[in-house]
Amino acid sequence: MKKINRRTKVVILTIIMTIILIAVYALGVLIPEDAVTGSFLNAKEPPSLEHLFGTDALGRDLLMRTLKGLAVSMTIGIAASALSAVIAVFVGISAAVGSKWVDAFINWLIDIVMSVPHTILVILISFATGRGWKGLLIGITATHWCSLARLIRGEVLQLRSRQYVAVSRKLGKSSGWILVHHLLPHLAPQFFVGLILMFPHAILHEASVSFLGFGLMPEQPAIGIILSESMRYIGAGMWWPAVLPGLTLVLIVLLVDRLGGHLQMIMEPYSAQE
Amino acid sequence: MQVNIKKILALLLAVLMLFSMAACGNDAADSKDSVVIAIGSEPETLDPTKGWGHGNSPIVQSTLVRYTSDLTFENDLAVGYKLSDDGLTCTFTIREDAFFTDGEKVTAADVAFTLETAKAAQGSVDLTYMESAVARDDTTVVITLSKPTSIFLNTLASVGIVPKHAYSEDYGTNPIGSGPYKFVEWKAQEQIIFTANEDYYGGAPVIKKVTVVFMSEDAALAAVRAGKVDVAYSSAALGTTEVDGYHVEAVASADNRGFTLPVLPNEGRTTESGAPIGNDVTCNIEIRQAIAYAIDRKQVADVVLNGFGKPAYSENDGMPWNNPEVVIETDMEYAKKLLADAGWIDTDGDGIVEKDGLKAEFACVYPSGDSVRQAVAMAAAEQVKEIGIRINVEGISWDEIMRRMFSEAVMMGWGSAIPNETYYLYRSEGALLDDFYNPEGYTSNVTDGYLNAAMEALTVSEANENWRKVQWDGTTGTSMRGECPWVWIVNLDHVTYVRDGLSIGEQPIHGHGHGLPLIQNLHEWRWNE
Repeated sequence: MKKINRRTKVVILTIIMTIILIAVYALGVLIPEDAVTGSFLNAKEPPSLEHLFGTDALGRDLLMRTLKGLAVSMTIGIAASALSAVIAVFVGISAAVGSKWVDAFINWLIDIVMSVPHTILVILISFATGRGWKGLLIGITATHWCSLARLIRGEVLQLRSRQYVAVSRKLGKSSGWILVHHLLPHLAPQFFVGLILMFPHAILHEASVSFLGFGLMPEQPAIGIILSESMRYIGAGMWWPAVLPGLTLVLIVLLVDRLGGHLQMIMEPYSAQE
Repeated sequence: MQVNIKKILALLLAVLMLFSMAACGNDAADSKDSVVIAIGSEPETLDPTKGWGHGNSPIVQSTLVRYTSDLTFENDLAVGYKLSDDGLTCTFTIREDAFFTDGEKVTAADVAFTLETAKAAQGSVDLTYMESAVARDDTTVVITLSKPTSIFLNTLASVGIVPKHAYSEDYGTNPIGSGPYKFVEWKAQEQIIFTANEDYYGGAPVIKKVTVVFMSEDAALAAVRAGKVDVAYSSAALGTTEVDGYHVEAVASADNRGFTLPVLPNEGRTTESGAPIGNDVTCNIEIRQAIAYAIDRKQVADVVLNGFGKPAYSENDGMPWNNPEVVIETDMEYAKKLLADAGWIDTDGDGIVEKDGLKAEFACVYPSGDSVRQAVAMAAAEQVKEIGIRINVEGISWDEIMRRMFSEAVMMGWGSAIPNETYYLYRSEGALLDDFYNPEGYTSNVTDGYLNAAMEALTVSEANENWRKVQWDGTTGTSMRGECPWVWIVNLDHVTYVRDGLSIGEQPIHGHGHGLPLIQNLHEWRWNE
C-alpha cells in the first residue's frame, strides 16, 4: 500500500472533522420542535437506550436538547466570529493605511476593549441590548475582533513596505487596485484561520454568559441553559444533565480548535510543504 | 528528600482536616438542648413594627393574642378583651406577670406605643383602619378603630410588643422583648442566635439555644449530609434525597402557585406606566374555566413536586375561612364541552381550537430563576394542550413581568394565614395595580359587597361566612366555579429536613415564606432522647 504523506493525512482529517461538525449542526437544525418538548411524566430519567443522555427535570430528552443547543450555539458562534473577523479586517486595514490619527485612535480603542475582561464586557453588552439572540451576537461580535485586527494591521504594515507593492505604485496603480490584488490575497490565510480559531471562543462565551443568566432565555435549548439548570439538581444526585451535555460541548470545542490548527498548517505558506 | 517532607506535610494536613470536620459534626449532635436551623432567607429586621413576625410569630417579642395550630386565637399577653357593640372600640386587659428581658414590666403603655409606632411606620403591618391606641392604666389599653375590622385580631397576632423605654432606631438589629426567646447576636448574611428566656411567663422553653443560619437550599442539604444542622429548609426537588439520621417533614402550606388570567379584552388600553391591558383569549370565561377543569392537580403535585404538594383550589385552602365548595374535579370532557358550546372549534387540524379566526393561544410568564414555577407552568401547559389551548411558557425578569402581567398569564404565587389576602386579591379598587395582587383586572360589585361585609363583621364566624361567599355564594364568586380570574394549581409543602429525635411540634399551616414560618412554634420543639 502506498504511504500517505503527511499533508494528505492532514487534509483527510480536516475533511472528516468538517463533516462531523456539519453533521452535528444539520442534526440540530433538522430536529423538530416536538422532540425537544417532552412530557413532564418522564422527567429525571437517567440515561437509557431510549434517552441516551437521559431526561431533564421537565422531561425533555437531553440528547435532543443538547444537539439543538449546539446548533443554536454554533449559529451564534459562526455569525459572531464571521462578523468580528470582517470588522477585524476592515479596522486592521484602515489602521495600517489610514492617516496617523486614525491609527492612533484604533490602537487606543483596541487597548480599551482588551483591557476589560471579555466575559464581563459580553455580559454588559448582552444585558444592555436586551439579552437573547441579538444581545449575545452584538456582545460577542463587539469583543472578539481586537486581537485579529492587531494581527492584520501588523501584516498590512509589513506588506506595504514590500518591493512589489512599491513597484505597483510606481507603475501608477491606484490604492484600491493594490488593496484588491496584493493586500487581500495575502490576508486570506490570517482571515480564515483567525475566524475558525475565534469560533470556539465565541461558543464558550455564549455558553458561559447563558449559564450566568445574561444570555439566551431559559426556554431556548442552549448548552449554557442546560448546564445552569442542571446545577439545581446535582445536589439531589442527578449527574447526567451536567456531565453529558458539558462533555459534548468540550468535544465540539476541541474539534473546532484542532480543525483551526490543521487549516493553519495547510494554508500557511511556511508549513504548506511539510 | 524535599519532596518527601512535602508529602508528609500534606498528609498531616489532610488528617488534621478530617479530624476537625469530624469535630464539627459532633458539635450539633451532642448537645441536646440546642438546635441549629438552616433557612433560605434572612429577615430584614427584628422590629415587629416594621414587619418582623408578619406571617410567623416574632418569638423575641410576645403578642396580645396568638394563633393556635388550627388558626384560631388564644390569649398571649392579653387576659381578655371586649369589643363594643358598634365594633369600633376594643378594650384589652393585659397580664401582670410579663416582663421584658431587661427586667422592666410590660405595661399597657408599651402596647399603645407599639401599635402607634407600627401605624406610623406604614410598613407591612396594615393599621390604617386604627384611629388610636391609648393606655388607660397599667393593664388596660383602649383601641379605637375608624370602621369595624374583623381582621384586627389577625393583625394583632403578628405584631410583637416592643418596650417603650428601650426603643430606638437600631431596635431592629438589637431587640428586647417579652417573648419565649432572648436575642443574642446577629451576623448579617450568616446567622442569628437566640437563647431561651428563663423568665418567660409561659414557662421557660425546653430548647435553650437556637442558632438560625442562612444558606441556599443546596448548601443546606450539604450541611445536613455533613450533620452540621438539626433542621434545614429544603425544596421539593431536593427533598427526595435520603440522609441517614434525618427524616423529611412536609409541612402543609397555603403557599400556592397558579395562573393569573387577564379577564379584560385587549382594547388598546394601557396602565399609567404604559403596560398593555387585556387579553382577547383569556377574557373569555369559558377559556379560563376550561383550563381550570383540564388541569390534573394531583398529577402535577405528585410528579413535578415529587409528592411534596397538594392540589390548590383557592388562595386559602384548609383555612377556617375557606369555602369547601371551591373544590373542582378534573374533567377533560366537561372542559372540551365548555369550549365547544362557546364556539371554540379546531377547524384547521393543528390541535388548537379557534373562534372567529382567533386561536386559543397565549403566553404565560414566570420569573426566570424559579424552577418550581417553570415546572408547574410547563406541566399545566402540557395538560391544557389536550383540550386545544396552547400556553407558551416564558421565563423573564420581574421587571418585564410587571410590564406584561396585565395582558398575559402569570405563574403567580400567594398564600398567607390571614384572610385579608382574599380582600387584596379581589377588591375592585385593587385591580390593575402594580402590587401583583390583581393583575387580571377583576372587578365585581357582588364580590366587593361580600369583601366589605367580611372586613366589617363583628364576629369571626360572621366574617368567615362572608369570606366564603366571596369565593362562591351559590351563583357566582371568585373561585374557579365562578368568574375564575385565577386558576389555582398546587399548594407547595414546605420540605424540611429534621434530625431524628427532634420534634418540631405541630406546625400550623405555613404562609408564603422561605423557612421563617418554621420557627414560629419554637417553644414546642423537643429532643426526645
